Amino acid sequence: MPLSKKRIGIVCPYGWDTPGGVQSHIRDLAEYLIRQGHSVSVIAPAIEDENLPEYVTSAGRPIAIPYNGAVARVLFGPIAFSRVRSWISQGNFDVIHLHEPAIPSISLLACWAAEGPMVGTFHAAAKRQKVTFAVAPFLEPVIEKLGARIAVSEAARETLTEHLDTDAIVVPNGIYAKQYRDGSLDDRWTGNSIGFIGRFEEPRKGLAILVAALPAIAMVIPDIKVFIAGPGDSESVLKDIDASLRHRFTFLGHIPEADKADFLASVGLYVAPNTGGESFGIILAEALAAGASVVASDIPAFDSLLGHGEFGTLFQSENPDDLAKKAITLLQDSVARRAIAERGKVYAQEFDWDVVAEKIYDVYEMAMVGGTGVTLSSENRAWNKFLGRQGS
Amino acid sequence: MTFLSAILFIALAAWYLSYSATRLDRLHHRVETSWANLDGLLQRRAAVAIEIARSEISDPASSLLLTFAAHQAREASVRDRSQAETGLSGALGILLESSIDISGEIEKDLLRELRELTEKIRMAISIHVDAVTRTQLVRKKLINRAFRLAGTAPLPVTYEFEADFL
Repeated sequence: MPLSKKRIGIVCPYGWDTPGGVQSHIRDLAEYLIRQGHSVSVIAPAIEDENLPEYVTSAGRPIAIPYNGAVARVLFGPIAFSRVRSWISQGNFDVIHLHEPAIPSISLLACWAAEGPMVGTFHAAAKRQKVTFAVAPFLEPVIEKLGARIAVSEAARETLTEHLDTDAIVVPNGIYAKQYRDGSLDDRWTGNSIGFIGRFEEPRKGLAILVAALPAIAMVIPDIKVFIAGPGDSESVLKDIDASLRHRFTFLGHIPEADKADFLASVGLYVAPNTGGESFGIILAEALAAGASVVASDIPAFDSLLGHGEFGTLFQSENPDDLAKKAITLLQDSVARRAIAERGKVYAQEFDWDVVAEKIYDVYEMAMVGGTGVTLSSENRAWNKFLGRQGS
Repeated sequence: MTFLSAILFIALAAWYLSYSATRLDRLHHRVETSWANLDGLLQRRAAVAIEIARSEISDPASSLLLTFAAHQAREASVRDRSQAETGLSGALGILLESSIDISGEIEKDLLRELRELTEKIRMAISIHVDAVTRTQLVRKKLINRAFRLAGTAPLPVTYEFEADFL
């Protein structure tokens, strides 16, 4: 791909050492770009400075604030600001890539402090909120500095257009589609089974909706089983499930990456009953790539990821009856189920890092035209030039 | 006291003016770079179109049409540019629709390059259109008009072909 090697800076708004979609996206992107020979530096909040990969610079300890239905670990304030500034001035970057620059975080600080080629990626897909009208006048002049914007889904793009009145190019999040393509069937999980991956204790992951839908499914499909993979306390969840249903649930704990492809390829249905707070739905992309037949709630991110139902089945979010109905229809019609899964599998190859990272790099190139490099904006102010002052 | 607040007010006003001017300047810069980027891609598309015209892909009639359209796009003045680019898009569209089976390696490469370029042009257009509309919006603000902060810079506009392309 690149003829010339670039110096790329990436700003991660959320704590590096807490798991999350944005963080893993940045990690995979940074490592891909490094493999391509670029020099990449990531700045992120971090609880522990040790154990950070070589390319990550810590901006300090993150603060937990509630945002978008979940707790976001972000960071701002004068100390973080000065760390971001020195990262920018020492990095000598050709381009910097800011993630989620519209929330109070170091991404916004970096956007504020820097001048030059900048690309922003917007992950969140949120409904119209009143508060954004109040903050838009402050945000707009800052967001305006981005030479190009990326949205991870059509839903995120619409959010951006509604809230900040600006357009974006849609580049999805990346997965290693090739790893998932060749999953083999495993007897433990095949048959009339439903798979679920995620931190099931979080209410927004929607396990309760799947549990509520199960009695109706079990009436029609007597041998239905549910396999739940992901970290969490299974005892406390099982306690709340009706005793007659408990034997249908199997908790697998954290599933190793090596088994994930087989798991997704084997289960009869992959169900994602998330109630919201999802920006992209990387796990759905992985499930599709593995050839699973997906049933997901119709929240904006899933709706656009599944092509409005073309590559997976959507049910009305938070409606167990609708989930049961859709699941039964699919489980009874294996021809239709396989057809939709096959379409999804082909489509999911578009999310492979080889495709996605190339597209992101194309956007970098467009932002870098003119090739001035990134500087601190204070260095460019007339009076600072006049006084011969340099940015710290 | 009045003296102090007057000074404060003047300082604040001066800061705000300078800030607004910087903001406008940055926006104009964004328009320029995004256009330079798009322009470069369009030039490359014209070059690829000429190569396609010379290759096995196109029959003599479409070769003629394509070469003509590509040259027009390359040499068009600012005023005719939009029409010329639309013409080239049209000529390439006709060609791609009518040529179904292409076997040669060079031809396949050419068509792949064209497809990639088209995708990039689409991205570049959306970046350019966004920069232009934002600049137009900010220039409309009262303070910028009252103090003529945009100076002599012409009001950026989008080209008609950009809307067709998206």
